[in-house]
Amino acid sequence: MRRLIAAAAALLFTTVTAGGAAADTAGSAQIKYKINPTVRAQVIPNYLSGFGPIGGLGSGQTPAVGASAVLGGGTVDFGNVVVGYQYLYKYAAQVSVQTNDAAGFVVYGEGATDLNGSNPVPAPATFPLAQTLFWLISNASNSPFSPAHTFNRTGGVPIAGGSGGIDYSGSGGQPPPMAVIWSNPTSGNVSQGYDYQLRLSGTIPASQFNVYIVYTVIGN
Amino acid sequence: MRRINFAALLALGTVAGLAVFSQADALQTTKAFKEVVLTIVITPSPAPVGFLPRRPAPPAPNAAVRPLMARLVEDPYAGPARIASSGAAWDVAPGGTLIAQAPSVQPSPVPVQFVAKPDPNSAFLRIVPHTGELDVPYGTTTFPCAFEIFTFYTTAHQLTDWGYGTKTQNPPPPTYPIQNWPAASYLSWAVPDNSPTFKTYNNAGPPGETTWTGRAGQSQQHCIDLSIVVPNSQAAGVYTAAIQYNLLVN
Repeated sequence: MRRLIAAAAALLFTTVTAGGAAADTAGSAQIKYKINPTVRAQVIPNYLSGFGPIGGLGSGQTPAVGASAVLGGGTVDFGNVVVGYQYLYKYAAQVSVQTNDAAGFVVYGEGATDLNGSNPVPAPATFPLAQTLFWLISNASNSPFSPAHTFNRTGGVPIAGGSGGIDYSGSGGQPPPMAVIWSNPTSGNVSQGYDYQLRLSGTIPASQFNVYIVYTVIGN
Repeated sequence: MRRINFAALLALGTVAGLAVFSQADALQTTKAFKEVVLTIVITPSPAPVGFLPRRPAPPAPNAAVRPLMARLVEDPYAGPARIASSGAAWDVAPGGTLIAQAPSVQPSPVPVQFVAKPDPNSAFLRIVPHTGELDVPYGTTTFPCAFEIFTFYTTAHQLTDWGYGTKTQNPPPPTYPIQNWPAASYLSWAVPDNSPTFKTYNNAGPPGETTWTGRAGQSQQHCIDLSIVVPNSQAAGVYTAAIQYNLLVN
Protein backbone atom coordinates (compact mmCIF):
# COMPACT_ATOMS: atom_id res chain seq x y z
CA MET A 1 0.00 0.00 0.00
CA ARG A 2 2.86 2.39 0.83
CA ARG A 3 4.31 1.72 -2.59
CA LEU A 4 1.00 2.52 -4.21
CA ILE A 5 0.78 5.86 -2.33
CA ALA A 6 4.37 6.68 -3.20
CA ALA A 7 3.77 5.96 -6.87
CA ALA A 8 0.60 8.05 -6.87
CA ALA A 9 2.42 10.92 -5.19
CA ALA A 10 5.19 10.67 -7.75
CA LEU A 11 2.62 10.74 -10.55
CA LEU A 12 0.95 13.80 -9.04
CA PHE A 13 4.27 15.55 -8.62
CA THR A 14 5.21 14.80 -12.21
CA THR A 15 1.86 16.05 -13.48
CA VAL A 16 2.06 19.28 -11.51
CA THR A 17 5.59 19.96 -12.68
CA ALA A 18 4.74 19.20 -16.27
CA GLY A 19 1.62 21.34 -16.06
CA GLY A 20 3.66 24.29 -14.99
CA ALA A 21 5.90 24.03 -18.05
CA ALA A 22 3.38 23.18 -20.77
CA ALA A 23 -0.37 22.85 -20.16
CA ASP A 24 -1.13 20.64 -23.17
CA THR A 25 1.49 17.98 -22.55
CA ALA A 26 0.08 14.49 -22.06
CA GLY A 27 1.92 11.48 -20.73
CA SER A 28 1.59 8.12 -19.13
CA ALA A 29 2.76 6.61 -15.91
CA GLN A 30 3.41 3.04 -14.96
CA ILE A 31 2.07 2.15 -11.57
CA LYS A 32 3.29 -1.00 -9.89
CA TYR A 33 1.54 -2.37 -6.88
CA LYS A 34 1.55 -5.52 -4.85
CA ILE A 35 -1.43 -7.40 -3.48
CA ASN A 36 -0.65 -8.67 -0.02
CA PRO A 37 -1.13 -12.42 0.41
CA THR A 38 -4.09 -13.40 2.51
CA VAL A 39 -4.95 -16.68 4.18
CA ARG A 40 -8.27 -17.72 5.63
CA ALA A 41 -9.06 -21.08 7.20
CA GLN A 42 -11.82 -22.98 8.92
CA VAL A 43 -11.86 -26.27 10.83
CA ILE A 44 -15.06 -28.32 10.95
CA PRO A 45 -15.27 -31.12 13.52
CA ASN A 46 -17.33 -34.21 12.66
CA TYR A 47 -17.44 -33.01 9.09
CA LEU A 48 -19.06 -35.97 7.37
CA SER A 49 -21.99 -38.26 8.07
CA GLY A 50 -20.71 -41.49 9.57
CA PHE A 51 -18.30 -39.72 11.92
CA GLY A 52 -17.43 -41.40 15.20
CA PRO A 53 -15.29 -44.08 16.81
CA ILE A 54 -14.66 -47.67 15.73
CA GLY A 55 -12.28 -50.27 17.15
CA GLY A 56 -11.69 -51.42 20.71
CA LEU A 57 -10.93 -54.87 19.34
CA GLY A 58 -10.76 -57.30 22.26
CA SER A 59 -12.33 -54.95 24.80
CA GLY A 60 -15.72 -56.59 24.61
CA GLN A 61 -17.40 -53.22 24.08
CA THR A 62 -18.56 -51.60 20.89
CA PRO A 63 -17.63 -47.90 20.84
CA ALA A 64 -20.31 -45.31 20.23
CA VAL A 65 -19.93 -41.61 19.56
CA GLY A 66 -20.38 -39.38 22.61
CA ALA A 67 -23.24 -36.94 23.12
CA SER A 68 -21.06 -33.87 22.53
CA ALA A 69 -20.47 -34.72 18.90
CA VAL A 70 -22.80 -33.34 16.24
CA LEU A 71 -22.52 -33.37 12.49
CA GLY A 72 -20.55 -30.36 11.32
CA GLY A 73 -19.54 -29.17 14.78
CA GLY A 74 -19.35 -29.92 18.46
CA THR A 75 -16.66 -32.09 20.00
CA VAL A 76 -14.67 -35.00 18.69
CA ASP A 77 -16.20 -37.21 21.36
CA PHE A 78 -14.97 -40.80 21.50
CA GLY A 79 -17.54 -41.59 24.19
CA ASN A 80 -16.65 -44.49 26.50
CA VAL A 81 -13.42 -46.27 25.64
CA VAL A 82 -11.58 -49.03 27.45
CA VAL A 83 -8.06 -48.61 28.84
CA GLY A 84 -5.55 -50.65 26.89
CA TYR A 85 -7.29 -50.65 23.50
CA GLN A 86 -7.12 -48.73 20.23
CA TYR A 87 -9.77 -46.67 18.43
CA LEU A 88 -10.23 -44.76 15.20
CA TYR A 89 -12.48 -41.69 15.01
CA LYS A 90 -13.61 -41.28 11.45
CA TYR A 91 -14.11 -37.83 9.88
CA ALA A 92 -12.86 -36.06 12.99
CA ALA A 93 -11.96 -32.71 11.44
CA GLN A 94 -11.77 -31.02 8.08
CA VAL A 95 -9.39 -28.15 7.46
CA SER A 96 -10.34 -25.70 4.69
CA VAL A 97 -7.94 -23.02 3.49
CA GLN A 98 -8.47 -20.13 1.10
CA THR A 99 -5.39 -18.23 0.00
CA ASN A 100 -4.15 -16.13 -2.88
CA ASP A 101 -0.56 -16.87 -1.92
CA ALA A 102 0.99 -18.42 -5.00
CA ALA A 103 3.55 -20.14 -2.78
CA GLY A 104 0.81 -21.95 -0.89
CA PHE A 105 0.59 -22.55 2.83
CA VAL A 106 1.45 -24.86 5.70
CA VAL A 107 -0.99 -26.19 8.30
CA TYR A 108 0.22 -27.07 11.79
CA GLY A 109 -1.68 -29.06 14.40
CA GLU A 110 -0.84 -29.26 18.10
CA GLY A 111 -2.48 -29.98 21.40
CA ALA A 112 -2.95 -26.86 23.51
CA THR A 113 -2.19 -28.98 26.59
CA ASP A 114 -1.70 -32.59 27.58
CA LEU A 115 -4.85 -34.62 28.22
CA ASN A 116 -6.66 -33.05 31.17
CA GLY A 117 -8.35 -35.59 33.41
CA SER A 118 -11.57 -34.90 35.27
CA ASN A 119 -14.51 -36.78 36.77
CA PRO A 120 -12.73 -38.16 38.71
CA VAL A 121 -9.58 -36.05 38.69
CA PRO A 122 -6.69 -38.52 38.42
CA ALA A 123 -3.31 -38.10 40.05
CA PRO A 124 -1.48 -36.66 38.26
CA ALA A 125 -4.27 -34.67 36.66
CA THR A 126 -2.83 -34.87 33.16
CA PHE A 127 -1.70 -37.68 30.87
CA PRO A 128 0.74 -37.23 27.96
CA LEU A 129 -0.96 -36.38 24.70
CA ALA A 130 1.97 -37.67 22.63
CA GLN A 131 1.59 -41.33 21.65
CA THR A 132 -2.02 -41.28 22.82
CA LEU A 133 -3.84 -39.14 20.24
CA PHE A 134 -2.82 -39.46 16.60
CA TRP A 135 -3.92 -38.01 13.25
CA LEU A 136 -4.10 -39.43 9.76
CA ILE A 137 -5.68 -38.26 6.52
CA SER A 138 -9.23 -39.57 6.17
CA ASN A 139 -9.57 -42.64 4.05
CA ALA A 140 -12.25 -45.33 3.92
CA SER A 141 -9.63 -48.03 4.54
CA ASN A 142 -8.28 -46.46 7.75
CA SER A 143 -8.30 -48.68 10.83
CA PRO A 144 -7.18 -48.28 14.45
CA PHE A 145 -3.88 -49.81 13.32
CA SER A 146 -3.21 -47.62 10.28
CA PRO A 147 0.04 -45.64 10.33
CA ALA A 148 -0.57 -42.29 11.98
CA HIS A 149 1.27 -39.29 13.40
CA THR A 150 1.05 -38.29 17.00
CA PHE A 151 -0.23 -34.95 18.22
CA ASN A 152 2.17 -33.24 20.60
CA ARG A 153 1.61 -30.78 23.39
CA THR A 154 2.54 -27.29 22.25
CA GLY A 155 5.56 -25.32 23.40
CA GLY A 156 3.48 -22.16 23.07
CA VAL A 157 1.11 -20.66 25.59
CA PRO A 158 -2.48 -21.94 25.49
CA ILE A 159 -5.07 -19.17 25.52
CA ALA A 160 -7.99 -19.79 27.88
CA GLY A 161 -6.91 -23.38 28.36
CA GLY A 162 -6.70 -23.89 24.62
CA SER A 163 -10.22 -22.85 23.68
CA GLY A 164 -8.77 -19.56 22.46
CA GLY A 165 -5.90 -21.13 20.56
CA ILE A 166 -2.16 -20.96 21.22
CA ASP A 167 0.09 -17.93 21.53
CA TYR A 168 3.38 -18.62 19.75
CA SER A 169 4.87 -15.16 20.22
CA GLY A 170 7.23 -16.42 22.91
CA SER A 171 8.25 -19.58 21.07
CA GLY A 172 9.57 -18.47 17.71
CA GLY A 173 6.33 -17.00 16.42
CA GLN A 174 5.02 -20.19 14.89
CA PRO A 175 4.60 -23.90 15.65
CA PRO A 176 7.59 -26.24 15.28
CA PRO A 177 8.23 -28.13 12.02
CA MET A 178 7.28 -31.43 13.65
CA ALA A 179 3.71 -30.12 13.99
CA VAL A 180 3.19 -29.83 10.23
CA ILE A 181 0.15 -31.80 9.12
CA TRP A 182 -0.31 -30.38 5.62
CA SER A 183 1.87 -28.49 3.21
CA ASN A 184 0.22 -27.18 0.04
CA PRO A 185 2.43 -25.47 -2.58
CA THR A 186 -0.24 -23.54 -4.48
CA SER A 187 -2.94 -20.95 -3.96
CA GLY A 188 -6.62 -21.78 -4.10
CA ASN A 189 -9.54 -22.97 -2.03
CA VAL A 190 -8.72 -26.44 -0.76
CA SER A 191 -9.80 -28.81 2.01
CA GLN A 192 -8.44 -31.92 3.68
CA GLY A 193 -10.15 -34.28 6.12
CA TYR A 194 -8.52 -36.00 9.05
CA ASP A 195 -9.29 -39.05 11.19
CA TYR A 196 -8.03 -39.31 14.75
CA GLN A 197 -6.63 -42.41 16.46
CA LEU A 198 -6.75 -43.03 20.18
CA ARG A 199 -4.25 -45.55 21.49
CA LEU A 200 -4.88 -46.02 25.18
CA SER A 201 -1.97 -47.56 27.01
CA GLY A 202 -2.63 -49.72 30.03
CA THR A 203 -1.27 -46.98 32.27
CA ILE A 204 -3.88 -44.31 31.59
CA PRO A 205 -6.18 -43.88 34.59
CA ALA A 206 -9.93 -44.28 34.36
CA SER A 207 -11.28 -40.75 33.98
CA GLN A 208 -12.76 -38.28 31.53
CA PHE A 209 -10.08 -36.58 29.45
CA ASN A 210 -10.22 -33.41 27.37
CA VAL A 211 -7.85 -31.51 25.11
CA TYR A 212 -8.05 -28.81 22.43
CA ILE A 213 -6.34 -29.44 19.11
CA VAL A 214 -5.24 -26.13 17.63
CA TYR A 215 -4.64 -25.69 13.91
CA THR A 216 -2.46 -22.85 12.64
CA VAL A 217 -2.28 -21.96 8.96
CA ILE A 218 0.67 -19.92 7.70
CA GLY A 219 1.25 -18.70 4.15
CA ASN A 220 4.53 -19.61 2.53
CA MET B 1 -25.54 -111.57 17.06
CA ARG B 2 -23.75 -111.22 20.38
CA ARG B 3 -20.48 -110.77 18.52
CA ILE B 4 -22.00 -107.93 16.47
CA ASN B 5 -23.34 -106.22 19.58
CA PHE B 6 -19.95 -106.44 21.24
CA ALA B 7 -18.27 -104.91 18.21
CA ALA B 8 -20.79 -102.08 18.15
CA LEU B 9 -20.27 -101.47 21.87
CA LEU B 10 -16.52 -101.39 21.38
CA ALA B 11 -16.87 -98.90 18.55
CA LEU B 12 -19.14 -96.72 20.63
CA GLY B 13 -16.68 -96.77 23.49
CA THR B 14 -13.86 -95.78 21.17
CA VAL B 15 -15.87 -92.87 19.80
CA ALA B 16 -16.79 -91.76 23.31
CA GLY B 17 -13.17 -91.92 24.39
CA LEU B 18 -12.05 -89.88 21.41
CA ALA B 19 -14.77 -87.35 22.10
CA VAL B 20 -13.59 -86.92 25.69
CA PHE B 21 -9.97 -86.32 24.68
CA SER B 22 -10.96 -84.04 21.81
CA GLN B 23 -13.08 -82.01 24.18
CA ALA B 24 -10.11 -81.66 26.48
CA ASP B 25 -8.20 -80.00 23.65
CA ALA B 26 -11.15 -77.81 22.73
CA LEU B 27 -11.37 -76.47 26.26
CA GLN B 28 -8.45 -74.16 25.55
CA THR B 29 -10.19 -70.86 24.92
CA THR B 30 -9.13 -67.28 24.47
CA LYS B 31 -9.66 -65.53 27.79
CA ALA B 32 -8.43 -62.16 26.56
CA PHE B 33 -6.45 -60.62 23.75
CA LYS B 34 -4.77 -57.29 23.25
CA GLU B 35 -3.18 -55.42 20.41
CA VAL B 36 0.20 -53.78 20.78
CA VAL B 37 0.49 -50.94 18.29
CA LEU B 38 3.97 -49.62 17.64
CA THR B 39 4.78 -46.45 15.72
CA ILE B 40 7.96 -46.89 13.73
CA VAL B 41 9.60 -43.84 12.21
CA ILE B 42 12.31 -44.53 9.67
CA THR B 43 14.67 -41.60 9.58
CA PRO B 44 17.05 -41.07 6.67
CA SER B 45 20.54 -42.14 7.62
CA PRO B 46 23.40 -39.66 7.43
CA ALA B 47 24.89 -39.26 3.97
CA PRO B 48 27.37 -42.06 3.28
CA VAL B 49 31.05 -41.24 3.13
CA GLY B 50 32.00 -40.62 -0.49
CA PHE B 51 34.15 -38.58 -2.82
CA LEU B 52 33.46 -34.87 -2.86
CA PRO B 53 35.28 -32.68 -5.37
CA ARG B 54 37.32 -29.95 -3.79
CA ARG B 55 35.60 -26.63 -3.98
CA PRO B 56 37.45 -23.36 -4.34
CA ALA B 57 37.34 -21.09 -1.35
CA PRO B 58 34.38 -18.72 -1.39
CA PRO B 59 35.21 -15.16 -2.40
CA ALA B 60 35.88 -12.77 0.43
CA PRO B 61 32.98 -10.42 1.15
CA ASN B 62 33.32 -6.97 -0.32
CA ALA B 63 34.35 -4.94 2.67
CA ALA B 64 33.64 -1.70 0.83
CA VAL B 65 29.92 -2.48 0.84
CA ARG B 66 29.64 -2.61 4.61
CA PRO B 67 30.27 1.10 5.35
CA LEU B 68 27.76 1.96 2.64
CA MET B 69 25.11 -0.22 4.25
CA ALA B 70 25.86 1.20 7.67
CA ARG B 71 25.48 4.71 6.32
CA LEU B 72 22.21 3.85 4.59
CA VAL B 73 20.85 2.36 7.77
CA GLU B 74 21.86 5.51 9.62
CA ASP B 75 20.42 7.87 6.97
CA PRO B 76 18.43 6.22 4.19
CA TYR B 77 18.12 9.48 2.25
CA ALA B 78 21.82 10.15 2.04
CA GLY B 79 22.51 8.50 -1.31
CA PRO B 80 23.90 7.39 -3.60
CA ALA B 81 20.89 5.09 -3.60
CA ARG B 82 17.67 6.15 -1.96
CA ILE B 83 15.75 3.77 0.22
CA ALA B 84 12.15 4.40 1.06
CA SER B 85 11.22 4.26 4.69
CA SER B 86 8.18 4.88 6.79
CA GLY B 87 9.05 5.69 10.37
CA ALA B 88 10.93 2.79 11.81
CA ALA B 89 9.66 0.29 9.25
CA TRP B 90 11.59 -0.26 6.06
CA ASP B 91 9.77 -0.49 2.76
CA VAL B 92 12.92 -1.92 1.29
CA ALA B 93 15.20 -3.56 3.76
CA PRO B 94 18.81 -2.44 3.51
CA GLY B 95 21.39 -4.97 2.57
CA GLY B 96 19.36 -6.61 -0.17
CA THR B 97 17.53 -8.91 2.27
CA LEU B 98 13.77 -8.89 1.86
CA ILE B 99 11.75 -10.16 4.79
CA ALA B 100 8.24 -11.22 3.87
CA GLN B 101 5.61 -11.21 6.55
CA ALA B 102 3.78 -14.52 6.15
CA PRO B 103 0.08 -14.26 6.93
CA SER B 104 -1.18 -16.71 9.51
CA VAL B 105 -4.55 -17.65 10.88
CA GLN B 106 -5.76 -19.89 13.70
CA PRO B 107 -9.30 -21.24 13.22
CA SER B 108 -11.40 -22.33 16.18
CA PRO B 109 -9.68 -25.23 18.01
CA VAL B 110 -11.15 -28.71 17.91
CA PRO B 111 -12.24 -30.00 21.33
CA VAL B 112 -11.52 -33.70 21.86
CA GLN B 113 -12.78 -35.82 24.74
CA PHE B 114 -13.17 -39.42 25.85
CA VAL B 115 -14.07 -41.32 28.98
CA ALA B 116 -11.51 -44.00 29.80
CA LYS B 117 -13.12 -47.02 31.46
CA PRO B 118 -11.19 -49.67 33.38
CA ASP B 119 -10.23 -52.78 31.49
CA PRO B 120 -11.95 -55.88 32.92
CA ASN B 121 -9.28 -58.09 31.36
CA SER B 122 -6.36 -56.30 32.96
CA ALA B 123 -6.29 -58.78 35.86
CA PHE B 124 -5.31 -61.48 33.35
CA LEU B 125 -3.50 -59.74 30.54
CA ARG B 126 -2.07 -56.26 30.29
CA ILE B 127 0.57 -54.41 28.33
CA VAL B 128 2.99 -52.01 29.98
CA PRO B 129 4.43 -49.70 27.29
CA HIS B 130 7.89 -48.21 27.63
CA THR B 131 8.73 -46.87 24.20
CA GLY B 132 6.15 -44.70 22.52
CA GLU B 133 7.82 -44.26 19.17
CA LEU B 134 10.59 -46.35 17.67
CA ASP B 135 12.90 -44.08 15.66
CA VAL B 136 15.06 -46.28 13.49
CA PRO B 137 17.80 -45.66 10.93
CA TYR B 138 18.57 -48.07 8.12
CA GLY B 139 20.04 -51.36 9.26
CA THR B 140 19.24 -53.26 12.44
CA THR B 141 18.17 -51.57 15.66
CA THR B 142 17.41 -53.25 18.97
CA PHE B 143 15.10 -51.86 21.64
CA PRO B 144 15.58 -53.53 25.03
CA CYS B 145 12.34 -53.88 26.95
CA ALA B 146 10.25 -51.97 24.43
CA PHE B 147 7.22 -53.05 26.47
CA GLU B 148 6.24 -55.54 29.15
CA ILE B 149 3.41 -58.05 29.32
CA PHE B 150 1.67 -59.29 32.44
CA THR B 151 -0.28 -62.56 32.50
CA PHE B 152 -2.18 -64.43 35.20
CA TYR B 153 -4.85 -67.10 35.36
CA THR B 154 -6.17 -69.59 37.86
CA THR B 155 -5.51 -72.57 35.58
CA ALA B 156 -2.69 -73.50 33.26
CA HIS B 157 -2.47 -70.93 30.49
CA GLN B 158 -0.54 -69.89 27.43
CA LEU B 159 0.34 -66.54 25.86
CA THR B 160 0.46 -66.54 22.07
CA ASP B 161 1.08 -63.82 19.51
CA TRP B 162 1.04 -62.98 15.85
CA GLY B 163 1.74 -59.82 13.96
CA TYR B 164 -0.70 -58.20 11.60
CA GLY B 165 0.31 -58.14 8.00
CA THR B 166 -1.58 -61.16 6.79
CA LYS B 167 -3.31 -61.06 3.44
CA THR B 168 -6.48 -62.40 5.01
CA GLN B 169 -7.22 -58.98 6.45
CA ASN B 170 -9.65 -56.90 4.50
CA PRO B 171 -8.56 -54.31 3.59
CA PRO B 172 -4.96 -55.49 3.71
CA PRO B 173 -2.83 -53.27 5.91
CA PRO B 174 0.52 -51.87 4.88
CA THR B 175 2.93 -54.74 5.12
CA TYR B 176 6.10 -53.20 6.57
CA PRO B 177 7.47 -54.23 9.03
CA ILE B 178 5.40 -57.35 9.75
CA GLN B 179 5.10 -58.28 6.06
CA ASN B 180 2.82 -60.90 4.61
CA TRP B 181 3.42 -64.59 5.08
CA PRO B 182 5.42 -66.35 3.62
CA ALA B 183 7.72 -63.32 3.62
CA ALA B 184 9.54 -63.05 6.94
CA SER B 185 8.80 -60.19 9.30
CA TYR B 186 11.38 -57.46 9.69
CA LEU B 187 10.34 -57.18 13.33
CA SER B 188 11.67 -59.73 15.83
CA TRP B 189 11.08 -60.30 19.52
CA ALA B 190 12.75 -61.89 22.50
CA VAL B 191 11.81 -62.46 26.12
CA PRO B 192 15.22 -62.01 27.78
CA ASP B 193 13.96 -63.55 31.04
CA ASN B 194 13.41 -66.79 29.13
CA SER B 195 15.81 -66.67 26.19
CA PRO B 196 18.01 -64.03 24.58
CA THR B 197 17.32 -65.39 21.11
CA PHE B 198 15.28 -63.17 18.80
CA LYS B 199 12.47 -64.71 16.78
CA THR B 200 10.77 -63.04 13.83
CA TYR B 201 7.12 -62.31 14.55
CA ASN B 202 4.70 -64.88 13.23
CA ASN B 203 2.74 -63.22 10.44
CA ALA B 204 0.52 -66.09 9.35
CA GLY B 205 -2.37 -65.30 11.68
CA PRO B 206 -3.94 -67.77 14.14
CA PRO B 207 -2.84 -69.90 15.92
CA GLY B 208 0.37 -67.84 15.93
CA GLU B 209 3.31 -68.71 18.13
CA THR B 210 3.79 -69.29 21.85
CA THR B 211 5.25 -66.33 23.73
CA TRP B 212 5.30 -68.15 27.08
CA THR B 213 3.28 -70.56 29.18
CA GLY B 214 2.09 -70.32 32.78
CA ARG B 215 1.08 -72.70 35.54
CA ALA B 216 -2.23 -72.53 37.38
CA GLY B 217 -2.26 -69.42 39.57
CA GLN B 218 1.05 -68.14 38.23
CA SER B 219 1.40 -64.44 37.55
CA GLN B 220 4.35 -63.23 35.55
CA GLN B 221 5.53 -60.06 33.89
CA HIS B 222 8.36 -60.00 31.38
CA CYS B 223 10.09 -57.51 29.13
CA ILE B 224 9.79 -57.86 25.38
CA ASP B 225 12.92 -56.85 23.48
CA LEU B 226 12.43 -55.82 19.87
CA SER B 227 14.77 -55.87 16.92
CA ILE B 228 13.88 -54.06 13.69
CA VAL B 229 15.57 -54.36 10.33
CA VAL B 230 15.14 -51.48 7.89
CA PRO B 231 16.24 -52.55 4.42
CA ASN B 232 17.71 -49.95 2.09
CA SER B 233 14.70 -50.36 -0.20
CA GLN B 234 12.29 -49.12 2.49
CA ALA B 235 11.27 -45.49 2.11
CA ALA B 236 11.68 -43.19 5.09
CA GLY B 237 8.42 -42.41 6.83
CA VAL B 238 5.99 -43.48 9.52
CA TYR B 239 4.91 -47.12 9.81
CA THR B 240 2.77 -49.07 12.22
CA ALA B 241 3.27 -52.56 13.58
CA ALA B 242 0.30 -54.23 15.25
CA ILE B 243 0.83 -57.41 17.26
CA GLN B 244 -1.95 -59.38 18.86
CA TYR B 245 -1.31 -61.15 22.17
CA ASN B 246 -3.77 -63.86 23.22
CA LEU B 247 -4.22 -65.44 26.64
CA LEU B 248 -5.37 -69.02 26.15
CA VAL B 249 -6.72 -70.90 29.18
CA ASN B 250 -7.89 -74.42 29.89
